[in-house]
Amino acid sequence: MAEILASQVVSGLATGCVYALIALGFVLIFKATDVVNFAQGEFVMASGFISYTLLIRLGLSYWLVFLVTITLSGIMGVALERVVVRPIMNAPIFSIVIATIGASTVLRSSAGIVYGYDVLPLPTVFSKDPIRLGAVTFTVMDAGVIGFSLAIMAMLYLFFKLTRTGTAMRATAQSQTAARLMGVSVSRIFSLTWAISAAIGGVAGVLIAPIVYLDPNLGFIGVKAFAGAILGGFGSIPGAIIGGMLLGVLENLSGYFFNAGIKQVSTYVLLILVLVVRPSGLFGAAPVRRV
Amino acid sequence: VIARAPSRATMLTWLGGAALGVALLALPLAADNYVLYVLTRLFVYVLVALGLNLLTGYTGQVSLGHAAFFAIGAYTAAVLAEALRWPSALCVVAAAGFAALVGYLLGLPCLRLSGLYLAMATLGFTLIVQEMLLQLAVITHGSEGMSVRPASILGVTFNTDGRKYYLALVVTAVMLVVARNLVRGRTGRAFLAIRENERAAEAMGLHLARYKTIAFAVSALYAGLAGALSAFMVGFLDPQEFSFFLSIQFITIIILGGLASLLGSVLGAAFLIVLPELLAGLDVWQALVYGLIMVLTILFMPLGLAGTLRRQAYRWWGLGTEPVIPRRLGH
Repeated sequence: MAEILASQVVSGLATGCVYALIALGFVLIFKATDVVNFAQGEFVMASGFISYTLLIRLGLSYWLVFLVTITLSGIMGVALERVVVRPIMNAPIFSIVIATIGASTVLRSSAGIVYGYDVLPLPTVFSKDPIRLGAVTFTVMDAGVIGFSLAIMAMLYLFFKLTRTGTAMRATAQSQTAARLMGVSVSRIFSLTWAISAAIGGVAGVLIAPIVYLDPNLGFIGVKAFAGAILGGFGSIPGAIIGGMLLGVLENLSGYFFNAGIKQVSTYVLLILVLVVRPSGLFGAAPVRRV
Repeated sequence: VIARAPSRATMLTWLGGAALGVALLALPLAADNYVLYVLTRLFVYVLVALGLNLLTGYTGQVSLGHAAFFAIGAYTAAVLAEALRWPSALCVVAAAGFAALVGYLLGLPCLRLSGLYLAMATLGFTLIVQEMLLQLAVITHGSEGMSVRPASILGVTFNTDGRKYYLALVVTAVMLVVARNLVRGRTGRAFLAIRENERAAEAMGLHLARYKTIAFAVSALYAGLAGALSAFMVGFLDPQEFSFFLSIQFITIIILGGLASLLGSVLGAAFLIVLPELLAGLDVWQALVYGLIMVLTILFMPLGLAGTLRRQAYRWWGLGTEPVIPRRLGH
C-alpha cells in the first residue's frame, strides 16, 4: 500500500514538474508585463506537434528536435506578444484576456485542422523501464522528466541572478519606469520575457506529450498549470514551482483513490476552492481585494 | 413632470424594431423549414448573449461559465420532462430557475474575484460541469446523451419547425424587453456603476455583493432558459456540445456584437450563427474563425458591431450620442 502510494507520488511529481514549468511561464510574463497569457498552454500543445513533425515526419535526432522546438516556441511567443498583445497593452485587462483566449482558440483549431483530433504518439528518449529505489518504484521517464525540469529551473535561476539581461528583467518586473530610467529597453525585455516563457512552455510540451497524450486539446494543460500557480500564490516564482508540483501529486493521488473522471476535475475544483478560500495561495501577496 | 418628446434616434429605433417584429412574425408564411430552423437556433443564442452581456458587458464580470449554465438549463428541463414527466412549461421555468440558483451560488464565491481570476474560475466551472454530465450517468445518461420529446404547452405540441420558431421568437422577444427594462432601471444603472468603479459605486450606497450576485443569477437565468428551450427544440442532448468552446462562442458573440449593448447581443448572435450557415462546410474552420474574430474585434473594432453602427449614425446623421469604449472593463 505505502509502496504503491509512494510511486503514485513520484509519477505525480513528474507531471507536477511539467505543470511547474508551464506555471513559471505564466508568472514570468505576469511579473514583467502585468499580462496573463491565456495562450500559455497552447505553446505546450504547439511544441508537442512541432516535435512530432520533426521526429516522425522528418526523422531528425531527438536532441536536435528538442533545440529546434524550443527555439520555434520562443519565436511563437515573441510573435504573439508583438502582434496580439502589444497593440492593446493599455487596454482594459478584459480585452487582453479575451485577445489571448482568441489567440489560443486560433492555435488550437489550427492544430486540429492540420493534424486532426486523434491522439498521436510522441516518442521520448526516456524509457518506461522501472527503477527501484528502496521501497519506491518509478520509471526512467519519471526520473528523466523530474531531473530535466529541475535543471531548466536551475538554469533560469542562474540566468536571472548572474547575467546582465537577467538583472534587467528583474528590474523591469519591479518597476518599469525605474528600469527605463536606468537605460533598460523595456520593450525588448517584454519580448524576451515572452520568448523565454514560450520556450519553457516548449520544454514542457516535449516532456509531457509522451506522458499524457498529444492532441489539439493538450493546451488545456495550461489551465491546470494556472491552477498550480494560483495554489502557490500567483505572481510568486517559488509559488509557481511548488504549487505546480503539489498539484501534480494531488491530481495523481485523486486519480488513484477515486477514478479518472475525478482526476480530471480535481484540479479545477481545487482551483475554485483556492481562489475562494485563499486567493493569495501559499506564498503570494493577495492578488484580489475583498468586496 | 413634462414628458420629453422622443428623439429622432428613439423614434427610428422603434420604427425599425416594429418593422423587424412584423417581418419576423410573418416570416413562416414565406420561409422554408431550414431558414426557420436556423433562426430558432439564433434566438436561443440571442437569449444567452443577452444574459452574458448583462453580466460581462454591463457589470464588467467576465464569465467563461455560460456553457455550464446553458447545460444546466438543458439537462434540468430534459430530466424533469423525461424522467419525472413534468409539463413542458413547468420544466422550462424550473430549469431557468435552477440555473439562476446555481448562478447565484457561483456568484457568491466569485464576489472576491475579478478580471482574469474570475475568467479562470468560471472556466474551471465549465470544465467541472461538463465532466459531471459524463459522471452522473444515472441522471444524465452520460456520454450516450439523452433524447427529449417536443414541448407541449396548453395543448399545442411544438413539433414542427414553424411552431418551434414561434415559441423561441416569443420567449426571446419577451426576454429582450425584460433585459431592456432591467438595464434602463435602477438595477442596470447599478450594474454600470459597478463596472465603472466599484469603490465609487459602494460610496454611493450601492450594495456591491447584492448587485453582483443578482447579475450572476439573472445572467445564468437567461442561459438556463436558453438551454431548456434548446433541449426541446433540438430533441437530443449530447454532453460533448457543452464544452469550453461553447463558452468561447458565447463570449465571442457579445465581443463582436458590442459589450453593454442589447442590440449588440442580437447583432453578434445573428452574425456568428447565420454566417456559418451561409458558409456551409465551415466545420473544421469554425473554431479558427471564432478565434480570429475575437482577436480582430478586440484589436480593430473595440466597440463591436452595435457600437460601431451607433458611432456611424452619430457621425454621419447626428443621431443619438457618440458611444465610448468602457475604460474600466474587467478591473
